[in-house]
Amino acid sequence: MNDLFIDVDYHQRFKSGQKIAGDVFLQSRDSTSCQIVCTLSDGLGSGVKANVLANLTAHMAHKLSFSPMHLGKSAKIIMNTLPVCSERKISYATFTIADIRYADKDAITVQLIEYDNPPAFHFSHSEAVSIATTSIELHREGAFKQEIIRQSSFTLRMGDRLVMFTDGVTQSGMGTHFPLGWRRSGVCSHISRLIAGNPDISSRELSGAITGKAYSLDGMDAKDDITCAVVYVRKPRRTLVVTGPPFTKERDADLVRKIESFEGKKIVSGGTTAQIVSRLMEKRVSVDLSSWSPGVPPASKMDGLDLVTEGMLTLGKVATCLEQKIPTNSMPNDAVRRYVSLLMDSDQVHFIVGTKINEAHQDPNIPVEIGIRRTIMGRIRKALEEQYLKETVLEYM
Amino acid sequence: MGQKKIKVKICVGTACFVQGGADLLLYEDFLDPHLLGLCEFEGTSCLDACKRDAVGLKAPFVEVDGKLYSEMTPRKLSEILKEAAHVGG
Repeated sequence: MNDLFIDVDYHQRFKSGQKIAGDVFLQSRDSTSCQIVCTLSDGLGSGVKANVLANLTAHMAHKLSFSPMHLGKSAKIIMNTLPVCSERKISYATFTIADIRYADKDAITVQLIEYDNPPAFHFSHSEAVSIATTSIELHREGAFKQEIIRQSSFTLRMGDRLVMFTDGVTQSGMGTHFPLGWRRSGVCSHISRLIAGNPDISSRELSGAITGKAYSLDGMDAKDDITCAVVYVRKPRRTLVVTGPPFTKERDADLVRKIESFEGKKIVSGGTTAQIVSRLMEKRVSVDLSSWSPGVPPASKMDGLDLVTEGMLTLGKVATCLEQKIPTNSMPNDAVRRYVSLLMDSDQVHFIVGTKINEAHQDPNIPVEIGIRRTIMGRIRKALEEQYLKETVLEYM
Repeated sequence: MGQKKIKVKICVGTACFVQGGADLLLYEDFLDPHLLGLCEFEGTSCLDACKRDAVGLKAPFVEVDGKLYSEMTPRKLSEILKEAAHVGG
């Protein structure tokens, strides 16, 4: 598994009174070519019209950045294609494209292309790093203003962040708190404080904190769409899931050694498995009779493990919740909720599945929902990979 | 009183939970409050009884003061505990 994870997320608030954003953020990952492309576009005006302009721009920019075409030509195509605003008689949308290549783990290269969005920030931990840019003038026929594209390339290392935002952020509080709005310098020092206060702040939380601040500067009545996107290079958060006893008893010790040496969160599912681990690690398992719900047996506690649960019923429910994308805050307070939350908060999940057959489950009185361990683990893995873009590894024992 | 509490272990393993063990976890609702005060409840992930198929016992299993009981129901548990409390008291 990779020792590096690129966390990309964004947060957005609509202009007051609008039900749709005029800013659009797109991201796509191509794990075979180790490439991530992020595009942020702000359409002219607000509401549906701006959303159409921004969406068109973002999608074109996104697709074109995967093609070998020259950048200036791509930008011209985008601008020529945009429909003309009926009020202002011009066609216009801004964009920022970050093309991130992470084939070399020590130096992730970023190609940044910006057109009329506030310049993005590069942070190394809580310090802002200046980005050297070159400008390209477009000289497009029918242009109503000077069109300059800023281009830069730099490298990101472990702990670095790239923060992109639209003018809704820099112009927040204009005329009330600040004569000219929050401005780039204000945004920069705020981000620096946020990171210094919480060095491991996730992209989701950081982008949310920035748009939240901008929104409050606007007096909870956003004057423009406010969007912020963050790219964060960090160590992956790992979780180990152990379920089922190993096929032969001799491998029990092996399993426990793997659990002990694993760095990250640890979950053990299954009564028998928990007993093996408890016996070999010489730690007591205590069942927490307060948190259970019909269909989900109570979870247990054990020193050195983050969660100990029953096996097949809990796992079956976890698989269903993941597949149906049920939000954790709508789940009852039981083992499944804690299980799903732990998986959601990880980037890489390592499964160790024991292949020993449980004689007690062969009773014909047992409901059919108690499926085959391997099938259920397959469902969980598929959901994590396809719906949540997590990396997973499966190992049988 | 200084009476020793009756130790009750309820199995919450898969096989027991689906065959009636879940009902036993509602012990606070079906047991007499006085009796409830005399007992100490604990869950356990497996009492290892389900795998001793030669014995021919069936889930769900409960252990009361170290003694194993099979095919437990709320009514049966309540009677066993009443008896235990009577003997102990």
